[in-house]
Amino acid sequence: MQYIAPATAKEAASLLHASTGIARVLAGGTDLLVQMKAGMIEPDLIVDIKKIKGMKDITPEAGGFRIGAAVSGTELGDHAGVCALWPGVVEAFELIGSTQVQGRCTMAGNLCNASPAGDAVPAMVAANAIARIVGPDGERDCPVQDIPVSPGKTSLKKGEFITSILLPARPKGSADAYLRFIPRTEMDIAVCSAGVSLTLAADGTCTAARVSLGAVAATVLLVEDAAKAIIGTKLDDASVAKLEAACSAACKPITDKRGTIEFRTEVAGVLARRATRIAQSRAGERT
Amino acid sequence: MALDEYSKREFTVVGTRPVRQDGIDKVTGRAQYGADFSLPGMLHAVALRSPHAHARIKSIDTSAALALPGVKAIVTSADFATNHDVQSVQDHCLARDKAMYDGHAVAAVAATSAAVARKALKLIKVDYEILPHVTDIETSMKPGAPIVQEGRRGRKVPAHYSDNATGFCEFGHGDIEAGFAKADLIVERTFKTSSTHQGYVEPHACLASVGNDGRADLWCCTQGHFQVRNLCSKMLNMDQSALRVTASEIGGGFGGKTTVFIEPVALLLSQKTGRPVKMVMTRDEVFKASGPTVASMTDVKIGMTKDGRITAGYAHIRYEGGAWPSDTIYPGAQCAFASYDLEAVKSQGVNFLTNRPLQAAYRAPGSPQSTYAVESVVDELCQILGLDPIDARLKNAAKKGTKSSYGPTYDEIGLIPLLEAAKAHPHYSAPLGPNQGRGISNGFWFNFGGETAVSLAIDFDGSVTLVEGNPDIGGSRAAMSMMAAEELGIPYEKVRTIVADTASLGHNEVTHGSRVTFAVGLATIKAARAAKVEMCRRAAMVWGIPAEAVEWENGAARAMGHNAGEHEPMTIEQIGANSSKTGGPIVGHHETMAEGAGVSFGVHICDLHVDPETGYTTVLRYTVLQDAGKAIHPDYVEGQMQGGAVQGIGWALNEEYIYGKDGRLQNAGFLDYRIPVASDLPKIDTVILEIPNPGHPYGVRGVGETGIVPPLAAISNAVSHAIGVRMSELPMSPQRILHAIHSKG
Amino acid sequence: MVTVTIWGSLRDATDGAAEVEVNASTFIEVLNALKANYPGLTAQIDRGVSMSIDGLIYKDSWFTPVRPDSEVVLMPLMVGG
Ligand SMILES: Cc1cc2nc3c(=O)[nH]c(=O)nc-3n(C[C@H](O)[C@H](O)[C@H](O)COP(=O)(O)OP(=O)(O)OC[C@H]3O[C@@H](n4cnc5c(N)ncnc54)[C@H](O)[C@@H]3O)c2cc1C
Repeated sequence: MQYIAPATAKEAASLLHASTGIARVLAGGTDLLVQMKAGMIEPDLIVDIKKIKGMKDITPEAGGFRIGAAVSGTELGDHAGVCALWPGVVEAFELIGSTQVQGRCTMAGNLCNASPAGDAVPAMVAANAIARIVGPDGERDCPVQDIPVSPGKTSLKKGEFITSILLPARPKGSADAYLRFIPRTEMDIAVCSAGVSLTLAADGTCTAARVSLGAVAATVLLVEDAAKAIIGTKLDDASVAKLEAACSAACKPITDKRGTIEFRTEVAGVLARRATRIAQSRAGERT
Repeated sequence: MALDEYSKREFTVVGTRPVRQDGIDKVTGRAQYGADFSLPGMLHAVALRSPHAHARIKSIDTSAALALPGVKAIVTSADFATNHDVQSVQDHCLARDKAMYDGHAVAAVAATSAAVARKALKLIKVDYEILPHVTDIETSMKPGAPIVQEGRRGRKVPAHYSDNATGFCEFGHGDIEAGFAKADLIVERTFKTSSTHQGYVEPHACLASVGNDGRADLWCCTQGHFQVRNLCSKMLNMDQSALRVTASEIGGGFGGKTTVFIEPVALLLSQKTGRPVKMVMTRDEVFKASGPTVASMTDVKIGMTKDGRITAGYAHIRYEGGAWPSDTIYPGAQCAFASYDLEAVKSQGVNFLTNRPLQAAYRAPGSPQSTYAVESVVDELCQILGLDPIDARLKNAAKKGTKSSYGPTYDEIGLIPLLEAAKAHPHYSAPLGPNQGRGISNGFWFNFGGETAVSLAIDFDGSVTLVEGNPDIGGSRAAMSMMAAEELGIPYEKVRTIVADTASLGHNEVTHGSRVTFAVGLATIKAARAAKVEMCRRAAMVWGIPAEAVEWENGAARAMGHNAGEHEPMTIEQIGANSSKTGGPIVGHHETMAEGAGVSFGVHICDLHVDPETGYTTVLRYTVLQDAGKAIHPDYVEGQMQGGAVQGIGWALNEEYIYGKDGRLQNAGFLDYRIPVASDLPKIDTVILEIPNPGHPYGVRGVGETGIVPPLAAISNAVSHAIGVRMSELPMSPQRILHAIHSKG
Repeated sequence: MVTVTIWGSLRDATDGAAEVEVNASTFIEVLNALKANYPGLTAQIDRGVSMSIDGLIYKDSWFTPVRPDSEVVLMPLMVGG
């Protein structure tokens, strides 16, 4: 097994591209190293991206923020600007693991691990976050929701990796929230989860919304019917109940050791409703 | 009065809360746990484990693995000596002709590194013939079920059960049918519990070194190194004295480290290679191939009059304890109704085989499962009849003179005082909010004593070395030092207690059965008394007066009677300093088969909240009341009580072994085997009652196990009240609770 | 004579009797007498039993005295966690 920590993204991409065996990007390593220790994967090449310049930067960009691919949960949580603009993304990312794991884990790693239960992913999808990808052919941008394609698989091509994630600008009166269900209080994997991002007009009318669900399908779901149920309403109970129903209707879960189809379907709706109310109250403070 | 009987007295050291002497080593990392031992030239061993739940082993081809550079030896069950006494333990360590469960070891490799050993595993070719398997008790008991081991059917097992039923037992007295006829209300229900793991933090680990002369040393993490020695020496056909076992510090055991898993295998490999061999289980192996507790399915029927008197109780318990027969049905059936004073009671137990690892003890083995069923039905009767659950229990509680459900008549016991204290506790009358429920439950455990040997030396400077033979799991070295200090009248800091290896003392029974503070404490007190007698004799010789004229008080020998005042008291320091000149080293020792461990009761109160939309349970408040006889070090008594409650909370709410249809364990790790994390728990409040045990000089009763008995029913009763539906299956995971809420309609 | 209580599932060896009388003055004499009078109990006794004598449980103390008025209950061998 070879370990390389290149200094530039270009170098990293060409190493990954040139590799003939199993090659893996190493960010925080909180998935990769655990999988290696468990004997689930034995890479021939590990490319550590943490030494690449800019990977740990959080940069304001067009009213939003560009988050480097090696920024840890702790670092993002310490950034007042991001916390103010995207509280739901930060709260999702901060749910991952423990204090120790927070010091290492990254959003891009959570995304590229491609678990349907990754906590940061639904929040990023609700935020309409955009991943910047570098590969042998140069740079491209891709919406976060198009990165995971099935459990453990991404749409990234050989040699490609994510260098940063853009959390875009948003109008006044906007906020987001993320909730997950676990049987304990921490150190667990989401049985189901929901991210909601919305914008309220001064009179409380919802003018824009994105609703996402985790762990209820092979990949994160963006539930457009749920957003439609509340856009144009003042989030009265009936509309939010429609959102809840739309979410449950969108679920395509499996029964496994962590939860049944029935439980996931029902509780995903409950979480979406509750997250909507949290986002609403956060947004209300900003109109 | 004989010295070892209880007598009321004032204490100076006992009952205080000094810092434990092993504490600093543990928080600084100096303490040595099982995996911390190493020797020059050491090899690393790993086990090859069956991926099948049930399969005949047709052949094992190790040639390719042995050819791998660095591989020094491979063993299979064929390498063991034949010994019927320990056959099932041995077969659990290494599969003989069948792999009995997913994770069952079939061979083990010793190599120059763990990486090489792991590589070698992939080169071992095992030809398996896959057999039908059964992993759950409900299937196992039905006629037509796959039979785990032929020829094991118990003689007295009821005819309607499959041949997986290996044992039957029955206890009780009186005419239950007549009792039921007198009842105003009868409730009858079936309850299920899942198999749970003790969840100790430290995985099994050992280092074995067998010399060319056949003499061996073994370092391992265990609750009982004498037991390890006896089992391993049988399996390897060696003299017991030829094997010296040293117990490491232990990162939890809870009953799960009362047997052997890897130790005989490491010894075999060391014997074969002539080199030290280290073997450490991974967490995955601990879950798959050590011993969880039994899973259960219990029918309970209880009759009650309108005013709360129980007229008859019946329990039919079925336990599943893995692929070999287990006897946990006995305590299960004995403990089910042990808290009650009943005219008519009958409890039966049946054991079933499944393709799972052999169960091991887990704190009060067998009692939590049957108590859960009984205490749930008692709660339901109270609920339907509109009775206060503590009042109703008080009305039926066992007391001195009660003929217990398992036979003997109780002496002084603490159940009624505990129930009264629970009723008076502010917790019991605190208001509850919406979606909240309160549950209570009793619990009982026997406790016992067993073989015990200690030695106590008065050193030349008057400090004291106490040598005992029981691994210290819950602060017992501190408790022993305290009892020695109390008896000798010297400060706690002057006593150092160590846990000696098997070559240094006579046999000591395993650290289990809540026995150590009771039995080793008793032996410590007697050893200290023997040393006092000798010290008085030495002082008498120096003074030239008869030994009977000298008594021991406050750390010094004092002349008494008409000699009083003629001599300055002679301190332990002075006597120690002169010991060589007065006859040699002074050592008190005591060896005994400790009997007279008092039984123990506990009462728990639990408040919790259930989220009606998700089934998520939050434990809000929890109080444990328990009779300790005498709390030597109250911190460690409270620690036992709190720990029992926490393990019970995990068992009740989320912990379970999950097997797939393929018979493989799906959650062999702490991620999906969900023990509570700290933030899941409220502070566990404790109330220690001290009703002295007549069989111990200071009145000590064991406290280590009873604490895990009441939580299952206390929590289940609380959930049942919070959601308005009677729960009857553990764990009460969110989905099970949500399902119950929906079933209400 | 001492009265010994036999647990339920062993009573097929004592013709259904819950209590039997034996001539004994110690723990071991009780066991020997039970084996002699009720051979059906031998297998269980040899596997190991405890005995409660006047409310105290003894695992294996052969010479513990048993008085004619003692309450003696045969019990399964104890294990613990
Ligand atoms: C104790 C513990 C608790 C955990 N709890 C949670 C939890 O609560 N919720 C949760 O969602 N997850 C949890 N995880 C999983 C893990 O911490 C997260 O998924 C984390 O975000 C992964 O980030 P990382 O930087 O450590 O990823 P790595 O382990 O470094 O990488 C993960 C995968 O993504 C690939 N990768 C990483 N970065 C990139 C990139 N920039 N471009 C392309 N591919 C990349 C890697 O090759 C690898 O396949 C937990 C893990 C542990 C050990």
